[in-house]
Amino acid sequence: MTLSPEEHRRLAKRYRRRTTLTAYAFLGPNLVAFAVFLLIPVVWLLVSTFRTGGVLGPAEFVGLDNWRDTFSDPLARTSIRNTVVYSAMAIPTVFIIAMILALALNAIPRGGAPIRVALYLPTLQPAVVAAFIFTFVLHPDFGVINYAVRWLGGDPINFLGDTTLALPTIAGIEVWRGTGFWTMMFLAGLTALPGELYHAAELDGAGAIRRFIRLTLPLLRPTFYFAVIFATIVNLQLFDSVFALTDGGPVNSTVSVSLYIYRSLFLFGDIGFGATLSFLLVITVLLLTGLQTYLLRDRK
Amino acid sequence: MSSTNSNRQPSSGRLWRVIAMILACALVAAACGNDDDPGDVSVPAAPEVGDSSSEPAGDSDGMAEDSSTPAPTAEPEPELSGTIGFIKGPHSAMEVEFNDQIIADFNAQVAPDVEVEFSTYDWPVHVAELTTLFASGSPPDVQYLVDLIYPAFAEQGVLHDMTDLVNDPDWAEERANISPFAWDLAEQQGGTWGVPVLGAVYNIFINETLLEEAGLLDSWDDSYESMLAAAEALTTDDVFGFGARTSAADFAWWDWYPYIHNAGGDVFSDDWTECGLVGQDVVDAMQFLIDIHTAGVTPAIGSVDNQGLFDLFAAGRIAILHHETPNIVALNENPPDFEWTVAAAPPGPQGHTVMGNFGILSIAEASDNKEAAWEFIKHWASAPQVGRFAEQVSLQVVRTDILDDLFAGNPAMQKVQSEMVPRVQGLQPSPHIIEALQAAWPVVEDAFRGNQTGEEAIAGMCEAIDGVLAG
Repeated sequence: MTLSPEEHRRLAKRYRRRTTLTAYAFLGPNLVAFAVFLLIPVVWLLVSTFRTGGVLGPAEFVGLDNWRDTFSDPLARTSIRNTVVYSAMAIPTVFIIAMILALALNAIPRGGAPIRVALYLPTLQPAVVAAFIFTFVLHPDFGVINYAVRWLGGDPINFLGDTTLALPTIAGIEVWRGTGFWTMMFLAGLTALPGELYHAAELDGAGAIRRFIRLTLPLLRPTFYFAVIFATIVNLQLFDSVFALTDGGPVNSTVSVSLYIYRSLFLFGDIGFGATLSFLLVITVLLLTGLQTYLLRDRK
Repeated sequence: MSSTNSNRQPSSGRLWRVIAMILACALVAAACGNDDDPGDVSVPAAPEVGDSSSEPAGDSDGMAEDSSTPAPTAEPEPELSGTIGFIKGPHSAMEVEFNDQIIADFNAQVAPDVEVEFSTYDWPVHVAELTTLFASGSPPDVQYLVDLIYPAFAEQGVLHDMTDLVNDPDWAEERANISPFAWDLAEQQGGTWGVPVLGAVYNIFINETLLEEAGLLDSWDDSYESMLAAAEALTTDDVFGFGARTSAADFAWWDWYPYIHNAGGDVFSDDWTECGLVGQDVVDAMQFLIDIHTAGVTPAIGSVDNQGLFDLFAAGRIAILHHETPNIVALNENPPDFEWTVAAAPPGPQGHTVMGNFGILSIAEASDNKEAAWEFIKHWASAPQVGRFAEQVSLQVVRTDILDDLFAGNPAMQKVQSEMVPRVQGLQPSPHIIEALQAAWPVVEDAFRGNQTGEEAIAGMCEAIDGVLAG
C-alpha cells in the first residue's frame, strides 16, 4: 500500500486544492458581502470625491475641487477637531470606569449577576431614548441635576446650551451608554486569565497593584487591542446622540464629522464634498487601526 | 392525486375554452363596472362634502356633479385612473385623517378610479427623506414642499415645471384666487414648481394679563425699545419677559427675519449674488436682538427648545413669545389661565413685515401619472379643501376668495389671516437659502450669547453667506 512519490504529490496537491476550495466556499458569502457593501462603496466614494452631483442630477468631474474645499472649509476643521476631542474624552474615561467596575465584579465571588444586568442596561438604550432620558436629567429648568444644584443654592447649569459644556456632556452620555458594554468585555477578559499565575505572584509577595500592572494589563493585551480599535472606530462615527441632543449646536460646538457629512449629503445636496469628508473618515479609521495594530502588536 | 391529473389531460381543450369564456366575462364585467364604481365610492362621501361647503370642490370641470347636472359644453375627458403617491409633512397629529378626507372627496368628486397613497415625512429630516425618494427614481407623484427647500430640488431637475398646467385657461379663475406674492414664491428659475396652498406665519404670542397688569398692553410693540423695556419690566423670578428660538435645529431664523426685513436687509442681495445684510439699520436690528437676548429677560440661550418655549408661555412663564400659529390650536384646546393674543413684531425703520413661509404642491418629474397628479393638486388647492384643512391645522391660506368665511370663532387665527398675512415678506427662494442660513446661524447663536456686537455678527454672517454663494 505504499504510494509512489509521484502519486503522493498528486494526492497531496488534490487535498490542498480541495481544502482551499472548501475554505473559499465558506468564505465566499462573506467575501461577496464585503465586496458589495464595503469594497465597491469605498471605491465609489473615492470616485465621488472627484465629482459633483450624481444623486439627483448627472455627475460632473471637478478634479480636486472637493479636496481643496474640504481642507479649506472651517466647519470641516471644526467637525474634525470636535470628533477628535470627543474621542479623547470618551474613550479613556469609559475604559477606566469599565476596568474599575470589571475588577470589582471579578472580585465578587457570587451574586454579581444583578449588578451586571444593571450595568448593561444603558448599553441597550438607543441613542434617541438616551437623549430623552438625559433631557430629564440635564434640563436647566426641570432636570434632576439642576434641581439638586438649585437645592444646594447654585445656579442652573446649561449643560447642552453652553458651548464649553455641550461636547463634554455628550461624551458623558456616551460614556454612560458604553460603560456596561466595556465592563462586560473587560470582565470576560479577566475571568479568562490563568488563576495559577496570580497564586504564584501572591506567593512571591506581589501586592494587588503590582499584580494588576505586571500581570493583568499585559495579559489583557488582546482585549485592549480589540477595545481600543473598536472604540476608536465607533467614536469617530459619532452621530446619533449629537443629532438627537444638539444638532451640532450651540455655535457648532458639537458638530461631528458624521453630522457634517450627513448635512452635506442630505441637507445641502453637496455630494462631492460629503463624499470627500466620508472618504477622509474612512482613511482616518484605517490609519488609526493600522497604527494601533502596530503599537499593540505582540512583541516577543 | 393521480386521478386528478389523469382527468385533466383529456379535457384540456374544453378547460381552455372555459377559461377563455371566464376571462371574456371578466373583461365585460370590468368594462361595465366603470359606471358603477363612482357610485360605490361617491355615495358615502358626497354628503360629507355637501355638509362642509355649499359649493362643490371648486373644480371647473364639473366632474363632481356628473350624477346631477353635467356641464352641457364639457367635452368628454379621458378617464383618470391608476395610483398616485402624495407625501407631506404633518401639520397635525391627525394629518392622515385630514388628508384621508381630502382624498375621499377627490375620489367622490373628481377621479373615482385614482388611488391616492398618502404618506408623511418627518420635518426634522424631511430634506434627507425627500432627497432619498427623488434619488430612488420613483418618488411620490405629488409632494408638499416648503419654500425653504423646493428651489434646490427644482434646480436639480427633479420637479416638473408646471407653467403650462397653472396657465391653463380653464384654471385661470382658480389661479387668480391665489395671492400674487405666493405665486412669486413658486415661480423661480424660469419655471413654476407648484401650486401655493398653505402658509405658516411666525407671530408673537403675548400674555395680555401680564401686560395689562404692568400697564404695557398698548405700548409694548410701539418700537424695539419699548418691547425691550416691556420685557425687562415683566421679567421676575418666575417669568421671562421675552422668548424666541435661538438654535438652527428649531429654525430660529424665522424669529430673526422680521427684524432684518424691517431694516431693509435680507440674506441675499436683490440679485442673489452676495450677502444682503447691508446697512446701518441691519446692524442696529442685529444689535437690538443681541441686546434683548443678553438683557436677562429670556431663558438661558440654548436651554429651552422650540416646544419648551411654548410650554413656558402656556404655563404663564413667558410674557412675549415668538412662535408659530399652529400653537393657537393648543391654546384654544387647553386654554391657559390668562388672556392671550397674537401680534407682530414692532415696526422697524424700513418696514413692518411679518415672517412667513409657504408650502406648494409639486409634481415629481419622474411621475408617470402627471395628469392624475395635477387633478389631485387642483382638488387639494380648491377652496373647500384647503380652507377646511387650514382650519383643522391652524395654518394660513394663500387664497383670497375664502377669507371671509375662514376661522369663524377663532379670533386669533382671523387676526393672523387678515392682519398679518398681507404684511408677510417671505424668504428668498434660492437653491442656496437653507445652506446659507445654516452656515450663518452659528454666528447669531454666538452673538446672542453676548460674544459679538451687531456689527461683528453681521460681518460674520456675510462672510458665511458669501462663502456659500462662492460654492
